[in-house]
Amino acid sequence: MKMTKIYEGSHQWIMFGRDQNKPANIIDSNQYVVRTTNRCLLMDPGGSELFAPMMAAVLHHAPVEQITDLFASHQDPDVISSLGLWDQALTNAKLHAPAIWEGFLRHFGCDSIEYVPIPDHGGSIKLDSLELELIPAHYLHSSGNFHVYDPQAKILMSGDVGAALEPIDSPVFVDDFDSHIDKMRYFHQRWMPSNQAKRAWIERVRKLDIDILAPQHGRMFKGDDVKRFLDWFDGLQVGIAV
Amino acid sequence: MNNQTKSQFVAVASITSELSAVMVVAKEISLAAANAKAIAFRAGDKAKGFQPITDFINELAKETIDLVTDINVYALLLYRLTVNEYRRTGAYNRFEIATKLAEGALYGASMQAPLENARARMQDCQRQFKRDVAHLLSQLEAVMHHARAARVIAANSRIEASQAGEYLQSLQAVAESVDKAAHTIHDNVQRCRVALSIYRSN
Repeated sequence: MKMTKIYEGSHQWIMFGRDQNKPANIIDSNQYVVRTTNRCLLMDPGGSELFAPMMAAVLHHAPVEQITDLFASHQDPDVISSLGLWDQALTNAKLHAPAIWEGFLRHFGCDSIEYVPIPDHGGSIKLDSLELELIPAHYLHSSGNFHVYDPQAKILMSGDVGAALEPIDSPVFVDDFDSHIDKMRYFHQRWMPSNQAKRAWIERVRKLDIDILAPQHGRMFKGDDVKRFLDWFDGLQVGIAV
Repeated sequence: MNNQTKSQFVAVASITSELSAVMVVAKEISLAAANAKAIAFRAGDKAKGFQPITDFINELAKETIDLVTDINVYALLLYRLTVNEYRRTGAYNRFEIATKLAEGALYGASMQAPLENARARMQDCQRQFKRDVAHLLSQLEAVMHHARAARVIAANSRIEASQAGEYLQSLQAVAESVDKAAHTIHDNVQRCRVALSIYRSN
């Protein structure tokens, strides 16, 4: 499991992914961790196949007892099917996830972890003195969907928005936006169902000060590529399967 | 899922299936008892010896139905325990892998407590499963006992039926159906016992 520190300040952001040992037929995913003094948040911690390498990787940054918060942007198995395993490993943790998915996500096993339902209008996660904002991203692609914005680090963890389907050894940041478009066009057109939802999200996100846009698959965008991505996405017709 | 876990799921699921067949047959016995009672009543003195047997048959059927109802509830609990054991064993295996992968990590040692807890929970489940299997086997033995009793009653019924003159054929048919039902119950329950017995000794 590759680990890349993407922010270092009063707290840290670490990106995990590009797991060379994952089964070949499951999609590669990026997991993100925010580490504060005494707490640790795992965002979209991944599928059950990824649990062991992910746990081992996190232990380079925090002890088990300080993994206090999980976040699931939506209900997909590549996002959170490991929940039942985290549930047995963590003794004092909360899962922040869309309210509408609670009854569904509990199928993965959620007995000891406290489910903190995120209402449709969003909310926040407090980690020590850090406050992260939960940005609604409904229908992008899931009907109950949130992203995580860190106003201090200026990072937006954007779930499936910005995702690309790429080989396991690809770089973690976009280095040539124009050539990257082909890797993400079909994903956005096919997985994202609503142009209306897309426009609402872009309008909301353009107001945020973002240095890094961090999707759950593929490469992250930084600097001017963030605006390039928003402009490109703005002009893209989605929901092409009907 | 490994082969043992698969066969454990199959064994527990097959009990419910076998027992639902037993339940159908037990209800048939109950009907046969009611039928026999009516025939014996019509036969009067000619079937005097048969009349108390019909009460036995009916009681036996009712007890079998009650027992099977209890066992079904228990089998459902055993199924849930199997699911739990599967989850806990899976967690323990993943925790073991995570612990190995985390060797050399700054906080790798903190995985020891979850690993030990997972092992303890898994072993608790395994012990509980064995205890529950032993209990279920004893309940199944009680059903077998009923099936054997039903066969004895069927044999007595044949003897009594032979004294019943023109009612002989009707009462012999009752005796045959009780005997056949007892056979079916015996065979089905025996299959349950065989499926479960390997988990008692493992």
